[in-house]
Amino acid sequence: MSEQPLVDQKFLEKLERLAIRWQKSFPGLVGGHNLSRFPGPGLEFLDHRHFHYGDDLRAVNWRAYLRFEKLFLKIFRIEPHTPVRLLLDASGSMGLGAHSKFDYACKLAAALCYVGLVRLDTIILLPFRERLERSLRCAGGRHRFAPVVQFLTQLQPQGRTDYLEVARQFVSSYPDRGLAIIISDFMDDSGCERPLQYLADFGHELLLVQVWAEEDRRPPWEGRLELIDAETGARLELDFDSQARNAYTAAFDAHRQALRRLALSNGGRYISVSTGLEIEEAIFGPLVQAGGIE
Amino acid sequence: MFFGNLTLTQFLLLLGAGSAVIVALYLLDRSRRRQLVSTLRFWISAQRAPETRRRRRIQQWPSLLLQMLSLTLLVSALGQLSCGSRGPAPRDHVLILDTSAWTGARTANGTLLEQAQALARACLRALPPRDRVMLVRADALATPATAFTSDRQALERAIAESRPGATALRLEQALAMAMRVQRLRGAAAGEIIFLGAGRMPQPQATGGPPAPPNLRWLAVDAGLENCGLRRIGLARSPEEPAVWNVYVAVRNYGQRAQRRRLVLDFGGAPVGSEEFSLPPAQELSATFSLRTRAAGWLQVQLSGEDALAADDRALLELPSLRLIHVIAYSSQPELLRPLLGTNPWVRAEYRKPEEYDPAAPADVVILDRYKPPVPPRAHAIWIEPPPEASPVAVRSGLSRGSLLRWRADHPVAAGIRTQDLRLEGAVVLAPAAGDVAIAETDAGPVIVARPGSSKTVVFGFHPARSSLRYELAAPLLIANILRWMAPAAFRRWEVHAASPGTLSVELAQDDAGEVRVVTEDGRNVPFTADERGLKFFWAEPGLIRVLTPGSELVYSLTLPEVAEVRWQPPDHVRRGLPSRAISETRAFELWPWLALAGGLCLLAEWQLYGRSRTAALRRKAGRRWLPNWRARPARTPAARGRP
Repeated sequence: MSEQPLVDQKFLEKLERLAIRWQKSFPGLVGGHNLSRFPGPGLEFLDHRHFHYGDDLRAVNWRAYLRFEKLFLKIFRIEPHTPVRLLLDASGSMGLGAHSKFDYACKLAAALCYVGLVRLDTIILLPFRERLERSLRCAGGRHRFAPVVQFLTQLQPQGRTDYLEVARQFVSSYPDRGLAIIISDFMDDSGCERPLQYLADFGHELLLVQVWAEEDRRPPWEGRLELIDAETGARLELDFDSQARNAYTAAFDAHRQALRRLALSNGGRYISVSTGLEIEEAIFGPLVQAGGIE
Repeated sequence: MFFGNLTLTQFLLLLGAGSAVIVALYLLDRSRRRQLVSTLRFWISAQRAPETRRRRRIQQWPSLLLQMLSLTLLVSALGQLSCGSRGPAPRDHVLILDTSAWTGARTANGTLLEQAQALARACLRALPPRDRVMLVRADALATPATAFTSDRQALERAIAESRPGATALRLEQALAMAMRVQRLRGAAAGEIIFLGAGRMPQPQATGGPPAPPNLRWLAVDAGLENCGLRRIGLARSPEEPAVWNVYVAVRNYGQRAQRRRLVLDFGGAPVGSEEFSLPPAQELSATFSLRTRAAGWLQVQLSGEDALAADDRALLELPSLRLIHVIAYSSQPELLRPLLGTNPWVRAEYRKPEEYDPAAPADVVILDRYKPPVPPRAHAIWIEPPPEASPVAVRSGLSRGSLLRWRADHPVAAGIRTQDLRLEGAVVLAPAAGDVAIAETDAGPVIVARPGSSKTVVFGFHPARSSLRYELAAPLLIANILRWMAPAAFRRWEVHAASPGTLSVELAQDDAGEVRVVTEDGRNVPFTADERGLKFFWAEPGLIRVLTPGSELVYSLTLPEVAEVRWQPPDHVRRGLPSRAISETRAFELWPWLALAGGLCLLAEWQLYGRSRTAALRRKAGRRWLPNWRARPARTPAARGRP
């Protein structure tokens, strides 16, 4: 983690206008800012239904009663307070790259937390490696941003990732559905597609943010290489040339497309950002374009 | 263009070996690169079978070329590549600097050694700078002051530190040594340059040493006039112990007759002088007598001035006279006076028997027919002791008999002969184990000697009351007894002032036995001995003692050994300083620039190619989470059964 401030004040001021968006309709108590298809106390009309004993008389459509002499009740769309969970990959592979992927991911997480705090959302920050680590619940407005920065600053990239175990823990710990923002490089030898599908199947909306370094996509080395997995320590010897590099890049792009398909097919969103891209550009570019925030 | 240090073959061999090492290290360094990656998942699709051939491929040609260029430049610098005419090959010269005693002679232009040192410095400047020179200081010994070196400053320091010695020049040894070191060196032999007076002792100068063909002779002698002490000897007079006989030898080394005065001082008081006129190349001997019992310093001085002042004065230390103190306890001392009074080395004191003191300070005590209550502590001579008090048991009395045998191999009876010596009223002694019978009759021993810490001699008869008093053997017997009991007082003591070098010492016949040659501080000096005497060599001024059982000879080696003859080398020997024009070469030294260029190439290679490797290594070392992949078995995802 660099010693520079995670995000500067000017950048935070720019984030004041943004809000985290999700597409799915989640049930819940009033207090959110995203409309839901579920009825409830709200301002936007949804439908009518017959009045039943015990309904709130304030929602009776008296005009329709005068016309049809039957009691109809107006139903409104609720804007529920939806839980937002931000899962941050803190494994060893995130520490690689000429520009550290982990630093980049922490800045993104801090920015998203600040956006959520401004809109009075409740965001649970969940670092994970082989399992979920100690979490931080941040809510209550922008003045509660300092603990977030302190929490993120104390994190160090180390250990290996196990998406399946993380997904199992997440589903069992947070049964109420909500928005799951996952910031990671999604580079796991055992594959992360199936655990992500589990999360989507349990009703969570996925916002996948893949952070990758340039050498992750197009390694600059040539010749005889002895590769060492940063997480497992496994080694692989191979001869690497331009032809092999093309094959490697094609495999990496295919992995990205698979993640994208998985997110979109489950009603989620997928954002792929390189560490070479500035944080501000990443927030106001790919993240806004994908509808993650607006 | 040529190499100063290396031949072309050596240069190519060195360059080839270095290039092979660099290429091997280069290929090894770039043969396999370790790289830390996020996952091995995507590398599987890029994996191919390792090609061994790739290890031999060179991937960064400019890096290898820069390294090879650096090596070539550095090896060329090591070979001292020079540009210009090569000139003659460097040679090895030997500079023999004469440091004999004669080089301390003073002239109007300083001493002869100072002139020789100036010539040596001029000679060094005339020699080619690449020539190697060995400086040898030559007097009685040839001592190398430096090894073969081209460092002119070190040579000039060694020349400046040279001082005149105390011995004469042995040129033959110095030349032989110079030829030997040039032959052992094996390189191109240069000249043997001699600088100095070239004066040698008479025996060596006769015929002269063989002159080597590469000898160059640079002499500095200028016909100086000198007259000096050559030898001084002092010995006690055998007739009168208090008188010293002084022998002085003076030699005129110059070309003109000298009129000088020889003066002797003892303790600051003049004790003798003699004026003499000495023809050139002649030696004069003078003898003096000095009567003294006291110890002191004797100074022998030649008045007047000459070229060499060191041989005009000598100082010798004389010991005090020590006599044997004998106390005789006798009621008839007039009987003993003739026996003791004839020996000048004896100081006799006669006391009555009632004045007996066992602790009286005496070397020898004589008990004449007296029974002391306590035996004396000093050596004792018992004459006719009472039978009950005799230290040697009395066997019987002898009313009449004749003395038949003397124990001639014992020091007490050495040289004693008697014939038909009749004894009356003697007693026969019964010697114990360890006692020696000195004189015997038919009945048994009448004189017995007992060795030990306190030596004892017992007479069974009175030598002054028997017929022995009329024999010459009587005082001789007493003298032998005293010499046996106190040998130090009878030791012959001589003092000589001589020059360092080889000394020959003639020994008396009674000096045969254990001989030691020691320095003033007790160190042993090696020597050779034959039937005529012994020889030893000592090159430094100092005091040497030759110790024999009967004498002590002290050699004060303070006089310089001045050679008599100036050697004239043959005509074919070169003379004068070597020619400067022939020796100079014109060459431009390239090697400093080559070394600088080689270093710059190495720096450029490191900047362009090496720094990135170093940074990568540092980055790897700085990560705490770097797994200990060396300790883990190599497992690929495929090996773990993953896609």
